This record gives sequence, structure tokens and C-alpha cells, in this order.
Amino acid sequence: MMRRRGLAGVLLAGVLCFVGCGGPMQPDELARSIEALESTAAEGALLADHVARDRSKNTFVRAHARELGETVEHEAEKLNDAEGEPENGVAPAKAKAIDLADQISAALGRIQTAPGDEAEGGAAQTELSTLSEKAGKLAEGL
Amino acid sequence: MKTVLQIALGVIAAIGGFVDIGDLVFNAQAGAAVGAPALWAVPVGVLGIMIFAEMSGRIVAVSNKPNFVLVKERYGARLSTFTLVASLVLTVLTLGAELGGLGFVLNYLFDVSVNFFVLVALIAIAAAIYFLPFGGLERLFGYMGLALLVYLAASIKLDPDWGEIGRGFVPESHGAAVYWYFVVGLIAAALMPYEIYFYSSGAVEEGWDEHDMKVNKANAFIGFGLGGLISVAILVASAQVLKPAGISPDSIGTVALVAEVPYGETGLILAFIGILFAVGGATIDTAFSAAYNLAQHQGWRWGKRFRLLDEPRFTLALGGFLLLGFAIAQTGVDPISLTEYAVIFSIPVLPLTYLPILLVGNDAGVMGRHVNGPINRVLGWAYFGLICLLALAAPVLYIWTNGGG
Repeated sequence: MMRRRGLAGVLLAGVLCFVGCGGPMQPDELARSIEALESTAAEGALLADHVARDRSKNTFVRAHARELGETVEHEAEKLNDAEGEPENGVAPAKAKAIDLADQISAALGRIQTAPGDEAEGGAAQTELSTLSEKAGKLAEGL
Repeated sequence: MKTVLQIALGVIAAIGGFVDIGDLVFNAQAGAAVGAPALWAVPVGVLGIMIFAEMSGRIVAVSNKPNFVLVKERYGARLSTFTLVASLVLTVLTLGAELGGLGFVLNYLFDVSVNFFVLVALIAIAAAIYFLPFGGLERLFGYMGLALLVYLAASIKLDPDWGEIGRGFVPESHGAAVYWYFVVGLIAAALMPYEIYFYSSGAVEEGWDEHDMKVNKANAFIGFGLGGLISVAILVASAQVLKPAGISPDSIGTVALVAEVPYGETGLILAFIGILFAVGGATIDTAFSAAYNLAQHQGWRWGKRFRLLDEPRFTLALGGFLLLGFAIAQTGVDPISLTEYAVIFSIPVLPLTYLPILLVGNDAGVMGRHVNGPINRVLGWAYFGLICLLALAAPVLYIWTNGGG
């Protein structure tokens, strides 16, 4: 009986460690989240560059930009729901990350709406490259 | 020309096996995260599957026994049932992911809705299975999947540092857990259990006998070699395009985008054709493997070589697994994550899949003059040891690296 309880305790501890026990967001978790934004913005910039140079297929641009946009929105929701300690914590960076996510989502929306518009693609490419760089710097600062 | 047609089984088993929906993204992730230093893992995995596929094909040619019959004969009732259940769970999960992946690819091409195209894919695959003979299925999905060779052309055109690529094929000691996560995953991706089940049952479907030893060798070495080449090409092209841009691929769209960089829309379309047929081939591999395993375990009459309506239990199993896969895909679960879990968590099942092949291949009583020679024995046991090591390392590395992230 004692052995079974011990085993159950070890399993419970393992599961809790594995799923995480909540608490404020840690800098490494926030950095991972911002890196995901950086990667998505960089990919969006590549896609937008192909729109600008008429090197892609409209259905692909639209569907993939939508998919990238959903990734960014999901990341923003996770950031919004995570607790960030206001003092000496990650709250300010978290707020900046949510703001970046909104801007990335909007820029992706431009190529999703007009996948055949080369001028719109060029503008979105510039914007998404800048946002990717900003996200990279924000993650580095953590 | 005849030889080209005869290696279709190896091509579809390999393409469906290690450039399926999850592996396509996994290869791209390895290229983006680690780059050339992870390359050596691909030939290590490919050589392993070549050795075991050749052995299992030889066993079929001599004894007409596919892999799950060996599992049943060599293990007791309990262990063979455990192997059956574990392989069915992982194979059907993978099948669901492949159908989901087909939905994504078709949606990139026509932009209606992923779920709608999952249904279209299910109907198309079921129609292909019903109307085409086994050889037709192999050739259609195997050879059309070779459109993925666009990644080979892309990796050459992107002009990588060839010295670095060459050094990537030499294993190096590395401290980073993420590096080992990708190395283990790349080796395991080549050794997915359903490939060997499909290959050995396919050899029975094709009626191989002792006259087909050369065909078996050609299938094992050329077919799986081609699959490995595509794997390497995706990794190299991704390292060239995604790594410098800081892009971490999470979807099949990103993998297609890699081919668009050097070749524009033509590259994109070729990539999608290759992906569509490779993933379609994987759907066929997994659906048949699940039905083959169940039928062989239960001792039912099985095979596409008979009329499907004449073997209702096998046909119902095949249809049932396809519908189960469809239900999984319709839940909206991310197909990439699903196959990644399937790759990593299928590794503990690998020793149970490969041990009977090795035991029978080494058994002169069964194999006669076709018994494993000394090189096959040594390599077989060495790979079996490696598989056992992977079985222990994979889940730990997955949790430690947060899935390579």
C-alpha cells in the first residue's frame, strides 16, 4: 500500500512538473513566446516579398498569411493570459510583445486581403521585417 | 524501364515513411535549428531501414511471412497483442495527421477550407484504394512524390557551403540537447514501424519469391535511398533559406515556401505536387499497415491482391481505420504536432517491431541459404542496439528540449 502511494506521489509530482504549476511568467517563457513572434514576422516578410515580386500563388499567400496570423493571435492570447509581475518582472516586456503581436497580425492581414497587390506586398514586407527585428531585440533584452 | 517500375514498393514505402507530413516539417526544422551538422543522422537512419527492409523482403521471398506474422510467431500472445495495440495506436494517429496534412495542402492550392479538403482527400484516397491495383497505387503515389526532388534542385541552386555540407555527414560530439533531439528524431523518422509493416506486406502482395532477391535489394537500397536523398535536400534547402532569416517552421506551408525562394511559383507548385503525393502515399502506407497488422494478427485473409469485397473483415478494417483517421483529422488537431508525437513516441515500439525480423533473418532453419551473412548479422545487431538506445533517449530529449523548441 505504502509503495503504491509512493508511486502515485512520484507520478503526481512528475505530472505537475511536466504540465507546469502556474505562477508568474518567467523571462525564458516570455523569450520563447517573443521568438515565436519574431519567426512568424520573418516568415511573413518572406511571403510578402514574394507577393511584391509576383513570385507566389494567391491562394497560397492568402491561406498561409491567415495561418501565420492565427499563430500570432494565439501567441498574443497566451501572453495576455499569462501573469507578469509588475515590478522587476516581465510585465513591461510582455505588454510590448502583445503590442508587437497586434502589429504583426495587422501586417499579415494586408497580404491576406490583397495577395495579388505588389505594392501592398512591398509595404508589408518592410513592416514585417522591422517588426521581426524589434521582436528579436526585445527577446535579447530579457 | 522494368527495373524502374519494380522499385515502386521501396519508393512509396520510403517516401510515405520519411517524407510524410510530420517529417517534411521535422527535416525543415532540423535545417532551420541545427543546419548541416545534423545531416549525418539521415544516412544513419536510411542505412538502418535499408538493412531491415532488405531482410524483411528476403524473409517474405523465402517464407511468404510478412512482419506481423513474425511478431505473432516469435512473441507470446500477450506481447504480440501489446505490439499490435501500440502499433495500431501510433499508425492510426499518423494516418489522421496525414489526412489533415492533405487538407492543408489542398487548401493552400484552392483556399476553401481545410476540413472540406480533408473530406475530399478521404474520398480520393478511398477511391484510389478501391479502383487501383496495388502496383498502381505504388507507382502513382511513389513516383509522383518524387516531385519533391525539387528540393534537391533548390538546395543546389541556393549554393550552400559545400565544405560545411560535407562536414555535416561526419558525426561530431555536441553538447546541445536540441542538436541531439533532432539527430534522434531524424534517425527515428527513417525507421518508423509502419514502413516496415507496409514493405513486408507489400512484398507478399507482389508475390515475391526466391527469384526476386534482386528486386528486393533494388527496392530496399534505391527506394529508401531516394527517400533519404529528399530528406537531406529539404534539410539543406531549409538551412539555406530559413536559418539565416530566423524562421522556425511549424507548418507545411513554410516547407513549400522554401522551394518558392529559388524557383518562384513553379517551385511552389512542384513542392505541393510532391508533398500531396508523398503525404497521400503515407496515408496509403498507414491505412494499409494498420489493416495488414490487424488481419495478420487475427489470422484473417488479407491483401489488395484479392478482391476487397471477397475479404470483408480486412476491407472493413481498412475502411474503419480510414474513417478513424478522418475523425482524428476533423478534430482540428495540428497534424504536424501529431506526427511529431507519433515519431518520438513510436521509438519505444521500434525494438518490438525490428527484433523478429533479425531473429528470423538469422535463423538458418527458416532462411536456408538466404540466411543473414556475417555483415548483415553484425549490422543488424548494431542497429538493434541503436534502436534500443533511441527508445530510451527519445522521450527524455523530447521533454528536456520542449519538443526541440
